[in-house]
Amino acid sequence: MGFVNDVVPISVTGRSPELDELLVLVARGDETAFERLYDRLIASVFGLIRRVVRDRAQAEEVAQEVMVEVWRTAARFDPARGGAMAWVMTVAHRRAVDRVRSAQASSDREDRVARMGGEVAYDHVAETVTTRLEGERVRRCLDGLTELQRQAVTMAYYGGYSYPEVAGLLKVPLGTVKTRMRDGLVRLRDCMGVER
Amino acid sequence: MNDEIHTLSGAYALNALPLRELGEFEGHLSRCEACTIEVRGLQETAARLGVAVAEAPPRALKSRVMAQIAEVRQEPPPIDEEPPVAVVPLRRRPGRWALALAAVSAAAAVSVGVVAVNEIRSRDASIEETQSLLAAPDAVVRRVAMTGGGSATVVASESRGKVMFTSDLPALDPSRTYQLWTIGGERIRSAGLVDGGGVRTATVDLPPGTDHLGVTVEPAGGSEQPTTEPVMLAKVV
Repeated sequence: MGFVNDVVPISVTGRSPELDELLVLVARGDETAFERLYDRLIASVFGLIRRVVRDRAQAEEVAQEVMVEVWRTAARFDPARGGAMAWVMTVAHRRAVDRVRSAQASSDREDRVARMGGEVAYDHVAETVTTRLEGERVRRCLDGLTELQRQAVTMAYYGGYSYPEVAGLLKVPLGTVKTRMRDGLVRLRDCMGVER
Repeated sequence: MNDEIHTLSGAYALNALPLRELGEFEGHLSRCEACTIEVRGLQETAARLGVAVAEAPPRALKSRVMAQIAEVRQEPPPIDEEPPVAVVPLRRRPGRWALALAAVSAAAAVSVGVVAVNEIRSRDASIEETQSLLAAPDAVVRRVAMTGGGSATVVASESRGKVMFTSDLPALDPSRTYQLWTIGGERIRSAGLVDGGGVRTATVDLPPGTDHLGVTVEPAGGSEQPTTEPVMLAKVV
């Protein structure tokens, strides 16, 4: 099976005006722009979905849905309200989470809980992250969080858990989880130097 | 700013809010500029967590996607509608309104609490009912400002004899309630009670001769006639 190996890495540190322009062109029906956008983003989109959904075949399905949704709804993208990369990744994350939540019969959920524990996500992430220059920074920033902040953020983002589920798994109060998700992300944002 | 709801920005950016709170928080976002800016920064941050786990997909995925988009029509750009807007016959605005409103109605049907008052029913609109209303040749769609912020959408059809009201309503003290009124000339009739605290959709009867739909805040249990200034008043003809 052939794999894409010419994917251009995206800088973690800043917003890409070029990506924003591509997405604006996509909204006007420009298939060539869509193809370029695809090449730039698909590895991130697929990687995230695979992290959440886990099953490779399902991750491919969801990634396809996401890219078609990006094509279909590109007109909703407004560069004044955020970058193209975040916009696409938000679509991808929602779709991935929808998939795992809708597939969650209770027994299935037990399996996922058992598989995941509460820290596996991070360890697994850390392995992948070390292979990428951009990822180094993300890992360093994750290391700068408190244990609870890190678990709350990664279980929600990579595990696809809602905050009440995270609270249940970590056996901490709901209010604490909400707060740790927010202050954890704020600390990550400041560490990564995300533009505001 | 409500500190309690503001704390949800992190969970929202991580897509970790349960459905009920998602609606409430999105309603809050539409009125809170500071929260919107914070959420944007947190979403950009979360996206970088995704980029960090990038993984190449099979090459075949691209040809599947490219083949599919060739057959998928794109949405037109959203039309920026500031309240109040003129009456818009539905046939001039196909598709988007109907779909968006049907979605709102379907989502609201999960968690809406609408209480009957007097003999006039105020209840959740079914999707079929909403579609029927939207498809009516004489349907009028209005978006109007709510006193105190936010907006409401009202869809009325004389031929169907129904009017639908949908809005993200702020929570009220338990001693008070929202009350809908159909108004025709001097005649004001209660159309039911609606609680606050999220997106609410109610479809009520539209008595012949009605020209306005109004919403007031009344004591819990409702009033025979409005006792306060309306927080919303929409023409339905």
